[in-house]
Amino acid sequence: MLVNAYSKKVFNMAYQFSGSSQEAEDMTQEIFLKLYNSLRKYDFARNFTAWLLTLTKNHLIDEYRRTKWERTQRNEFNDRAIAQDAFSGPERSIVREENKKLVWESLDRLSPEIRMTVILRDIQGRTYEEIAESLGLPVGTVKSRVNRGRLQLARVLKDRQREWA
Amino acid sequence: MGMNDAHVEELLSAYLEGGLDESRSADVGRHLASCPDCGLLLEAMKDAREALGALPEVEPSPALLRRLYAIPEKRRFRLVPDFLLRPSLQPVFAGATALLVFVSFLAFSPGGRTFQKSINRQLHVGYSKAERLYAKAGSLTDEMGSYKETILGSLKNMKLLKKGGEK
Repeated sequence: MLVNAYSKKVFNMAYQFSGSSQEAEDMTQEIFLKLYNSLRKYDFARNFTAWLLTLTKNHLIDEYRRTKWERTQRNEFNDRAIAQDAFSGPERSIVREENKKLVWESLDRLSPEIRMTVILRDIQGRTYEEIAESLGLPVGTVKSRVNRGRLQLARVLKDRQREWA
Repeated sequence: MGMNDAHVEELLSAYLEGGLDESRSADVGRHLASCPDCGLLLEAMKDAREALGALPEVEPSPALLRRLYAIPEKRRFRLVPDFLLRPSLQPVFAGATALLVFVSFLAFSPGGRTFQKSINRQLHVGYSKAERLYAKAGSLTDEMGSYKETILGSLKNMKLLKKGGEK
């Protein structure tokens, strides 16, 4: 069943993109409604996951553009993200925790298109080719967007490290 | 060939992921070794990637799952078939609704009944007028029949019929 197979993927994508669990829940529901309405148009020759990813991406970016003035700040990311570092030494763990928070908050500074490519590449670990197929872009454009997004996030971290020093 | 900061920044992700050819990678490496600012940026980019990669997947809440499971059921038991919801049919539905409102006004409202009566009265008057007109037309036909011979005689005298026969 589609909900069992894809709800977690779609919800995580919406959560990583919007940064708010409430918004992510609403958007996941809207995406599934769209999915059921569009199933008749699905071309069986096409990779279903890539097709769903395209539908999800379009909805998230459209929704972001429509509601960007009403949006709230990003939620704090789930506490489990921090708990995973408990065994790597307290100091390193604190730095990582800070980095995670800062990077998570800074995702909002990226344009929706760049944020989407960074999420797909660095959070979800997809290949450049997969991303290019899902977003309907040349591989070179995807690489360039990922690099621009990483540079923006890296500058935020670099500035913070300078403040600490 | 020496590289400037902007050029190195463009290649930083590819350098980090081992996507550059050997000579290009060596150029970037040399620049990074001699430029502390770009070196720091590379370290920050590594940290950013590590932080992004460490963000875990989150489970959707049971309430959301219940809402998602309910969607296909809602669709299956929908009373209105999809084709009736096409936007092109909206003017038809609007027209039909207006007609229904008018008909119900005539049939059920007290004012509507008076209106209906007056329409009936007008129709009745119109029908009587038409009947009278028809009766008059019938009597005129009879009258014309009685004058037929006279008229034909007059026409013969005027040689109009004869002229028509020759043609």
